[in-house]
Amino acid sequence: MEFAWTPAQDAYRQQVRLALDELLPVDWAEISQDGMGSARQIDYSRVFARALADRGLLVPHWPAARGGRDASPWEQFILAEEMKSVGEPRGPQYMNVNWIGPTLMRYGSPQQQEEHLARIAAGSVVWCQCYSEPGAGTDLAALTTKAERRGDAYIVNGQKIWTSYAACADWCFLLVRTGSGRKDVSILLLPMSTPGIEVRPFPGLVEDGHLNEVFFTDVEVPATAMLGEESRAWEIVLYALSFERVGIPRYHIGREVLEWAVGQLRREGRFDDIARARAAGIVAGFETARLLTYLVVDQRAKDMPPTTDGNVARIAAAEACTELSDFLLTYTPDCLTGGDHVLNAFYRGNISATIAAGTYELQLNLIAQQGLGLRRAA
Amino acid sequence: MDFDLSADQQALVSGLQAVMRPYEDLTAAERKSFCCYRPALQRALRDAGFFDVASHGLGTLEAGLVAVTAANSPCAAEVATSALVWPAVLDGTPTGPVAYVSGDLNKAARFLHVAHHALIDTGEDLVLADVSAGDVQEVETILAYPYGRFVAKDVVRRGRSLGRAALALARRWARIALALEFAGAAERAVAFTVDYVKQRHAFGQPIGSFQAVQHRLAQCHQLTRGMRYTALYAAWKGSDMAANIAANTAQRHAGKLCFDLHQFNGGMGVTNEHSLHLWTHRLRALQGELGGAQGAALALADELWPAAGAQAARADFVAALAI
Repeated sequence: MEFAWTPAQDAYRQQVRLALDELLPVDWAEISQDGMGSARQIDYSRVFARALADRGLLVPHWPAARGGRDASPWEQFILAEEMKSVGEPRGPQYMNVNWIGPTLMRYGSPQQQEEHLARIAAGSVVWCQCYSEPGAGTDLAALTTKAERRGDAYIVNGQKIWTSYAACADWCFLLVRTGSGRKDVSILLLPMSTPGIEVRPFPGLVEDGHLNEVFFTDVEVPATAMLGEESRAWEIVLYALSFERVGIPRYHIGREVLEWAVGQLRREGRFDDIARARAAGIVAGFETARLLTYLVVDQRAKDMPPTTDGNVARIAAAEACTELSDFLLTYTPDCLTGGDHVLNAFYRGNISATIAAGTYELQLNLIAQQGLGLRRAA
Repeated sequence: MDFDLSADQQALVSGLQAVMRPYEDLTAAERKSFCCYRPALQRALRDAGFFDVASHGLGTLEAGLVAVTAANSPCAAEVATSALVWPAVLDGTPTGPVAYVSGDLNKAARFLHVAHHALIDTGEDLVLADVSAGDVQEVETILAYPYGRFVAKDVVRRGRSLGRAALALARRWARIALALEFAGAAERAVAFTVDYVKQRHAFGQPIGSFQAVQHRLAQCHQLTRGMRYTALYAAWKGSDMAANIAANTAQRHAGKLCFDLHQFNGGMGVTNEHSLHLWTHRLRALQGELGGAQGAALALADELWPAAGAQAARADFVAALAI
């Protein structure tokens, strides 16, 4: 056990920070004010990700043969940490580089790999993932969007929802039902410009760009667009989701938001011992989440089988974020009425952070059953 | 950053567990008591050199591993203060248990009844006092540590002043020691309860199969993971900020842990023979020490948001190493 960063990791963090200093435009704060799902930030992400790719900082963790340099998960995470600390200028492309690309490398046909990987590595394409449906969120296997084989194509009909970035995405990673069995699901890779796809953004409590319905009406997709074998995609889904076991480092924005609140309380002479102790407790919560996240990165770097420490880290982060939301609304009740985009982004993002990519309760189920060995009720 | 134990660290922990193993089986009398303290275990740990870890070739992280592992035992051994606080302010090895005493000297203090030495935080100074039988009186308690209080009035006067710099160091390391001890006891209390809910049946199935139980136990497990690594990090880092984060992380969750774990052990958990209290009542003992979670949080706040004119410390205490 050793908690120090290596000199190489220190140097890499500095390299990423330097790149951010040089690449981010002076009006980045303005560009990013409407959040990662906004059309403006997605547009900028295409510029930024290309520039990052030029510096070898978009997919360093990919194999050298695919445009990376076989960097370790530690470097991948340091990169994510630094990107998140400035508002994630890669936009939705963090998904491409972190799990869509690696999933294609493992399960894609040579043609699919040829078609997609170079573009992802170059930062010139935005993907969305069409998983959830109105009746299939946490229980993903309940999905009903159907793909029926007709000759050399599949005909897709159904509806997806809560599809982040769908309105601006170029490509879609689509989960469909191809059989009557509960896990008879398949994955299709298709351009969002395919006839029959309609995206309808709708308003909601989370940030703009995340809430989209995607309707598929007699959408014809070539059979060659299927990832892996028909009705055998469940393994692929689990593989792709495993990349999310290292959660998004939300402690940076959390600290930024907390400092805003503390600044206001100090200016107003209201930062008494009760508020100070509570604010410090929130910092302790974020730092605990950070250490637990590092624990998971370390396990990944050693190629260890997944443990429930990933779920533990996510719970720790969720608890700290929730405590901060409570703090904000208790001590700075005007925080959501002034239009401050950082506060809005944090608060609104936090609402869905305990729901998306496996609910808080699902994380607890996994910890209890897979980590502690408790069996499910009969 | 590497979270796996090195070969040396693994050997250290394994060696410690081997020394502690014979003390896992409690006697009939111990099983009915509120606290299990064995002088023989205390001597065995000292003779095997576990209190010298920080000053003999290894380091404070290794001493932290000793403290957190020792706290797994059903027996309350004085390890953390000897292994972490003492070496921070003194050379050599204590001849026996060390009590860390702060605040009102008339109040009961952990391990004081069995201590050979007391490190006394007078508020202005750190004083080392050798403790003899006539100096202290045993204090009855249901908390799972041996407690004592000073009856001699001249202990501080007879003691040796170690100075204000030592006081600051001792306060820091006392919080780290507390966090490690808390984490070890909490881990074992959770593990004990997980075993129990697998065996205890109600309504025709193990109570551990009910989601209401599973979710809260999963939360308890999550808390102990955080406690373990913040405490070990603090032992490695040795800073006030890391110490305050670790102590706060441990102490503020004592209520949740003790409530949930006692709930799931039900009626069995309120019998001494069930042993749960040997860990949970150590958590309760540690919950309010050194100012409790509030004290650690305020100390952390003082570093993060000092009075105007002073410079704030960097809060991302891990990443700060990179810059």
